[in-house]
Amino acid sequence: MIDLLKAILLLGGALLMLLAAVGIVRLPDLLTRMHATTKAASLGVNLTMLAVALHFSDVGVVARALAIILFVLTTAPIAAHVMGRAGYFVGTRLWSGTVKDELRPNYDPLTHELKSGQEPRQNVERPGRDEAPE
Amino acid sequence: MIGAVWNLLLGLAWVVLSGDFSGFNLLTGLVFGYLVLALIEPQVAPLSGYSVRLPRMLKFVAFFLKELIHANWRVAFDIMTPPWHMRPGVIAMPLSAYTDLEITFVANLISLTPGTLSLDLSDDRRVLYIHAMFLDDEEALRSSLKEMEHRALELFR
Amino acid sequence: MEYVIIMAQSIMGLALLLAFVRVVRGPSLPDRAVALELFSTIVMGLVGVQAIASGVASFLDVAIVIALMGFLASIGFARFLERGGLRDD
Repeated sequence: MIDLLKAILLLGGALLMLLAAVGIVRLPDLLTRMHATTKAASLGVNLTMLAVALHFSDVGVVARALAIILFVLTTAPIAAHVMGRAGYFVGTRLWSGTVKDELRPNYDPLTHELKSGQEPRQNVERPGRDEAPE
Repeated sequence: MIGAVWNLLLGLAWVVLSGDFSGFNLLTGLVFGYLVLALIEPQVAPLSGYSVRLPRMLKFVAFFLKELIHANWRVAFDIMTPPWHMRPGVIAMPLSAYTDLEITFVANLISLTPGTLSLDLSDDRRVLYIHAMFLDDEEALRSSLKEMEHRALELFR
Repeated sequence: MEYVIIMAQSIMGLALLLAFVRVVRGPSLPDRAVALELFSTIVMGLVGVQAIASGVASFLDVAIVIALMGFLASIGFARFLERGGLRDD
């Protein structure tokens, strides 16, 4: 029973990592690639660590495995956010199928000022306005 | 917060006193500690609200896991099948969280669910810019993000 | 159990190879940084599998160190990019 659970967790984790790797090769631009990698891969590590905790089932090891899971769960979104932001503002081009971009019109690349688009009620950016191709 | 510390201490005391150092026994201790704290809660002022907050937190974790698996499945399907079903884009989400901790928590939750990635916060901290992978139904996406934010904020207020 | 471990290791190895493809091909620096981050995550998984296969729990410490290094490296890369590093498009 425990063995079966461990096998499922291990294979699930490995498959999630494979999914992340396939995603990073196939997806067309930086931001969509980050969707695939950070979440799927960190979820895969979490499953693997759960399998390790089940395998040893010893207080010290379980505590360490849980610490790793907690650490990965807190740092993965931060790393994704920081990398995505840097990549976006450096000006990597988005995929041609991107439907809308509400950030670009509010961002001033000279002053690094990012408006919320909430202050002037009259000309809030409207969806559907065509973005100029970069 | 103080309630969680007491709960942990009671659970550890249970483990030490019963002399059985296993994970399952620790879980038993935590459950009994929670019951004791819920019993004495009306008399002790610093504990107030703890017995309601813990189930809410567990419910939130369950909700989040469900969301995580569902979204992961969708992203996985799109990666594995050759034609692209995705319609990525950057949307602006007005925030109702206002302290640093709340904003960090909400932004991290959004980053952690597959399909959405929080990019940046506007300078006046009212709008979070999110890169989303599936924008075919924008209203549904916005309302599900709002629901997640609402549930997350319930934990703090 | 042995078969499961070998299967998990080979799947993760394949994932490492695919991530390496992106490191080589990646058109810009951020792409490569993201691929390297994926690298460190997959290596963490491999270390976890190795801990199960060998029965040595100390391998978990290696995983902790790799997690710390990967996080700090990606933060450093992002800082470098925002301050204006190489932009080889």
